Parts: sequence; C-alpha cells; structure tokens
Amino acid sequence: MNDSFYENWTTQLRKGLLELAILNTLGGEALYGYDIVRRLGEVDGLVITEGTVYPILSRLKNESYVETYIEESPEGPPRKYYRLTSRGREELRRMNQHWQRLHEAIGQIRKERGR
Amino acid sequence: MIELSESARQRFDDYLHRLRITLRGSRTVQADDVEQSVREHVEIALAGVPVPVGAESLAPVLERLGPPERWLPDDERPAWRRMMERIATGPEDWLLAYLSFSLFLLAMLLFPVVGVFLLLPAYLVSRAYVEFVAGRAEAIGARRWLVYPAIVLPLLFALLLFLVGPVAPLLAWGIGDREFHRPWNLTADEQPMVERLRIEVGLSAVAFGAWWIVASGIAALLLRPIRFTFAPLLDRMQRRHLLFLTLAGIVAAGVGAAVLYA
Repeated sequence: MNDSFYENWTTQLRKGLLELAILNTLGGEALYGYDIVRRLGEVDGLVITEGTVYPILSRLKNESYVETYIEESPEGPPRKYYRLTSRGREELRRMNQHWQRLHEAIGQIRKERGR
Repeated sequence: MIELSESARQRFDDYLHRLRITLRGSRTVQADDVEQSVREHVEIALAGVPVPVGAESLAPVLERLGPPERWLPDDERPAWRRMMERIATGPEDWLLAYLSFSLFLLAMLLFPVVGVFLLLPAYLVSRAYVEFVAGRAEAIGARRWLVYPAIVLPLLFALLLFLVGPVAPLLAWGIGDREFHRPWNLTADEQPMVERLRIEVGLSAVAFGAWWIVASGIAALLLRPIRFTFAPLLDRMQRRHLLFLTLAGIVAAGVGAAVLYA
C-alpha cells in the first residue's frame, strides 16, 4: 500500500465518518458550531478542515436530524446552538449500530487471519 | 460583527464570496445558514484580539476553516459546476478528455465543411488521452463517454470504406456503362429488366465477395497498426475474427456466381 493510496483512503474514511462524529458530539448536549469544531479537532485521528463541519450541520438540519436555536452569550455574539431531534437520535442509534457491526466484522477478519 | 481592518474586511468578504459561490445550487446545504455559522465562528475565534482585527489575525482562522471549494462532497455540487471546475482546474487527464469531446462536438456542429477538418484533431486528442490513461494503468471509467466518440466515428468511416473498397465505385461506373453487359451478349438496351438486374446483382456479389477475401488478407497483415489506430476499441481484435469476413466473401462470391450462371 503506497502513501498516496493510504492518504486517500484515510481521507475518504474521515469524510464518511464525519457525520457520525458530529451526531455523536451532539449526542449528550446542545453545542454551538465553534464548540463542535473545537471538540472534533481535539479527537486524535479525526483531523478535519474546520469549515467542512458547517455544511454538514446545515445538511443535518435540512434533514431534520438537528435543530437550532439562538442563545445570548456573555462572551461575545449570540450563538447558534445545535441539538439532536428525536429523528436525529434514532438515526444516530442506527448509525452507531452499523458502525459497531463494521468494527466487529473487521475485527473478526483480523482475528481469523491472526493479525 | 467584530471590527475588522480594511484589508481583513476585504479578505473576509472574498472568503464569504467564495463560500456563496461554492454552496450556491447545492440541494441539501443552505448557503445562508453556513455563511451565518462561519461569521459566528470567525467572531468567536477572534474574540479577545485587539480591534480592529488585522488580516494577519484573520488569516490563520480562515486557513483552519479551509477553502470553501472543498467543503462539499463532489456528488452534492451541481453537475454543471463540477464540469466547469474540471475544465478550469482539473488534472490534465480530464482537460484532455473535455478538449477531445469539445472538438468532436464542434466538428459535428460544423459538419461537413469545417467540421470534417476538426475530426482529425479530436481523434488525435482522444488517442493521446487513451495512451495517457493506459500509461498510468488507470481505468478510463466514465470518461470514456467524452473520449470514445472521436474514435468511434472515424472507425465507422474506416469500416465503411474498408467494406466498400474500390468495388462500389467500379460497379457504379460499370453499370452506367453501356458495354457492361456485353459479356452476356446483350447490351443494356436489349436486355429485359429482370435479366439486367440478375446480371448486375450477380456481378456485384462476386465483386464484393472477391474484395472481402482480399481485404481480410490485407487486414490480417496490417492487424497491429489497425489495432493501434483504433485503440482501445479494437484491442481484442484477432486474425481469426477476419476469417468471418473471408467466409462472407466466399459465400457472396459463390452466390453471385450461381446467380450469374444459373
């Protein structure tokens, strides 16, 4: 496997998993955009271009998986908070299950091959 | 909004303009929504920086946000925009493919007077592209629809010329000549219509049959240059495939002779 192949593969994987990461970030509490970006940036291996988060949030909102509300902040401008809708929670549950199955399947293959 | 210096304001406006252009037309993403989020992001990121915020403070924030042109997955951007971007900024393999298709399209539009002269460059660019892709051991994929038309059309012309050969013009000239039917002891005026037709059909079948036998031999000898000229469409062509033409030639000549002498 050469470097460009590996880099391309990891980039595609990260892109594919970004929605899942964002939804999971919102799983526990409502967050504003900058905070979501910051938290994702702290996750090792999930290196992202910060701006890519916002179109995904917009798409998730468009699909009614998240909803927004504005809240005043003592430290600056009013902030737009994102939180999961019930539809978003259900979708997150399904996505996490699927991810778990994939993770286990790869683990099983690796185990069978003795790696 | 946070107070920006003139240069920072200009830079930020440019950035937002690029963002709007990129997101405009997306079916699933609201450009206004994203712009508002980005404004908020920048404002929070620059909180605490002395105002007016200069371009040197804004630049790293925009850099971390990344170029808006890369924010959307390829399949979410309008098809026409993807095509325009590929033409404008795409890698050379795509540029060649689009150039080939553009030349082909232009040739069709301006056919026959000017267009016919554009078919050759369209064909050459397509062939160059095919070699380029083969050299990189890449699959041509969907790009075939851009490149193959400029090869298919010359191939069809060549195939037609190959099958017709010198026979069709010779027959046309011969049938028009009053002496054509002389070997059967009749001139065209003296023969009944049906009899004349029998002779003409029989002779045509014999002539085409003979030509196809000869032509298949010529093609077998020149198989490699033929394959190269029309690659990759004729890559799988083998000498044994030409035997079908030889066989067709034998059958046509036999049928023609039977019609003539039956």
